[in-house]
Amino acid sequence: MTVVSRRAFLRTSGLGLGLGVLGGCAPAVRGDFLPRRGPRVVVVGGGWGGATAAKYVKLGDPGIEVILLEPNRRFVSCPMSNLVLSGVRTLESLTRGYGGLRAHGVRILHREASAIEPDRKRVRVDEGYLEYDRLVVAPGIEFQTEQVEGLAAAGDRVLHAWKAGPQTVALARELQAVRDGGVVVLSIPPPAFRCPPGPYERACQVAWYLKRQKPRAKLIVLDASPNIISKTGLFRAAWRAYPNLEYRPSNRVVRVDPDAREVTTDFGDRLRYDVVNLIPPQRAGTIAVRADLVGADGRWCEVNHVTYESVKHAGIHVVGDSTIGLPVPKSGTMANAMGKICAHQVVRLLAGRPPEPMAPVNVCYSWVNDVEAMAVINAYRIQNGKVVQVEQKLTPGQSAASGRNALAWARSIWDDVLA
Amino acid sequence: MTSSHRALAGPAACVLGLVAVLGLVAPAATPAGPRDPGYTKVFACSACHGRDGASRSDTVPVLAGMPAWYLKKAIEDYAAGRRPAAEMEPYAKMVLGLGVDDVAAYFAARPKAPTPIAPDPAAVERGGTAAQPCVACHGAEGKGDRSKGAPDLTGQPPGYLLNQMLLFKADTRSPGDPALTAQKALLKAIPDPQLADIAAWWASRR
Ligand SMILES: Cc1cc2nc3c(=O)[nH]c(=O)nc-3n(C[C@H](O)[C@H](O)[C@H](O)COP(=O)(O)OP(=O)(O)OC[C@H]3O[C@@H](n4cnc5c(N)ncnc54)[C@H](O)[C@@H]3O)c2cc1C
Ligand code: HEC
Repeated sequence: MTVVSRRAFLRTSGLGLGLGVLGGCAPAVRGDFLPRRGPRVVVVGGGWGGATAAKYVKLGDPGIEVILLEPNRRFVSCPMSNLVLSGVRTLESLTRGYGGLRAHGVRILHREASAIEPDRKRVRVDEGYLEYDRLVVAPGIEFQTEQVEGLAAAGDRVLHAWKAGPQTVALARELQAVRDGGVVVLSIPPPAFRCPPGPYERACQVAWYLKRQKPRAKLIVLDASPNIISKTGLFRAAWRAYPNLEYRPSNRVVRVDPDAREVTTDFGDRLRYDVVNLIPPQRAGTIAVRADLVGADGRWCEVNHVTYESVKHAGIHVVGDSTIGLPVPKSGTMANAMGKICAHQVVRLLAGRPPEPMAPVNVCYSWVNDVEAMAVINAYRIQNGKVVQVEQKLTPGQSAASGRNALAWARSIWDDVLA
Repeated sequence: MTSSHRALAGPAACVLGLVAVLGLVAPAATPAGPRDPGYTKVFACSACHGRDGASRSDTVPVLAGMPAWYLKKAIEDYAAGRRPAAEMEPYAKMVLGLGVDDVAAYFAARPKAPTPIAPDPAAVERGGTAAQPCVACHGAEGKGDRSKGAPDLTGQPPGYLLNQMLLFKADTRSPGDPALTAQKALLKAIPDPQLADIAAWWASRR
């Protein structure tokens, strides 16, 4: 963290009128650095769940001050990012700014929340803190690198590409560079993880790319689960187009050695690779663990199904991938739905009104090649205070029409989260 | 100024300044507020249909400004499986449970938001003539006619309009519905490329 001197700060702020400040400022903060003047909601994490929640609190009651803490200056969408691996899309086309949220009156600080003090209702940012009336925590996932021997030490030599960004581009480059006849290994962790159909969609995109560009190369998918865990029949059907894809279920990777370019499974089988994409086991974002919002397994946050309030700490709500216990996938659509509902309940609770039971919805599109997609659609209801699934529907198969609907969904939901 | 303020003067002022700058940005035009009984019931729709039903994509229809009677009919048709659409069926059933009238009233009260997709001008030009048979039911301006059960076609995205015509042609939308026999016979006689022109025409109308 750079500490900007007063003179340097004045120079920057004077010159850039805001933009300069935005670009150059990461000052140390101390004490109550933004004293509260009225009802205030602080949101930790400006991804799918948090950005949506911040926007919808403002829509619900513009009189509530909303402060969003998000270290990244730009939002990069994980949905559609598997298409970057196949060269069908650029990462830039999945990247958006936070200007839309600001236009709703959300105050965005590009800072990381370093701790939460539930008893004092404060979020710490380094040496400073922000007071809140209600807090929404949406930090997404973190990787349990310790679960795979050699992974932590491997650093960027073993890519996850499971948070869209530089790793996505790096993995695409590795695929472009792989020799024809090479072996690409994709390893899928045991559930629960972000985006259940995501790894299988990724398998399609990598196989599609290799089939066209490196016809003698091969993709080996090592899945910790005994079978494809989402859209099973549809993926099986899609994979018929990919004889270069070899699926090995019940193969959990327990060790990786980037020097030997080798992974080891729980059976002790060793496999040499030219390119590896190891999707590590996952847990809730670190701040949720640090703030003692996770359950006994130390991984995920249990919440009230109506308000998304943590079962462990009053006044703190958790939405998105960090949550557990609802019969729902860890998806962007779901994080967006939770963000809206949570925002609505937060507004009601701050006004002294009872929460209003509302069920989320889900849809997940998966791309099987450059133009065709398929979807799973879930509907839920609240029964005895719990979310229960009432229906799950699949598109009849893969189609270009579903691909067009997937594009429509992405465009629309990005706006719903950010515009 | 409080002491904590003063203690922070340098770097903290940077954050404060940043916030002040951001605070100057005026809020966007406020959409229908939480007081509308449909407000939370349409939470799910914006993921695909855009903010307040103002779809900006080519294949998902615009709901903003849609007459309540037609939206209600569409929801009932999806829920009953008469209009097969994997994306809509579960949500249509959900809407019936939540109260379709509130949802229909919510979108009917929004200003109409024609598609921003600009169809190919040549297709629009050809479509003007090709679309003549539509006016018998949808009206001279294509604005729809409730007495005939015909919706407003204007300003819907071209991709969506074309999809629906293809579904009618294949008799997969409202299959076997006697009220639509003549309309489907008409569509069957029109080659697909011409249907695309017709879609372009109505998409371009306001
Ligand atoms: C390859 C891939 C494909 C996918 N495809 C789909 C799809 O097609 N459809 C779909 O619905 N979902 C899809 N997903 C899943 C989707 O991306 C996630 O479910 C979604 O991002 C979850 O939202 P979230 O808000 O919980 O987390 P995120 O979107 O990850 O947001 C978390 C944010 O919190 C911030 N943060 C973390 N810690 C702190 C802190 N201490 N202080 C401040 N900020 C912090 C992070 O910087 C981040 O911006 C896909 C995921 C992947 C990896
Ligand atoms: C997953 C994306 C998705 C979501 C979420 C969604 N829709 Fe749709 N909707 C579609 C698609 C795609 C179509 C076109 C389907 C077809 O081919 O008939 C459609 C069509 C419709 C139509 C038909 C319009 C017409 O001109 O006939 C109505 C009405 C509608 N949706 C209402 C809703 C409402 C209300 C909600 C929220 C409760 C909703 N939709 C949520 C994707 C979605």
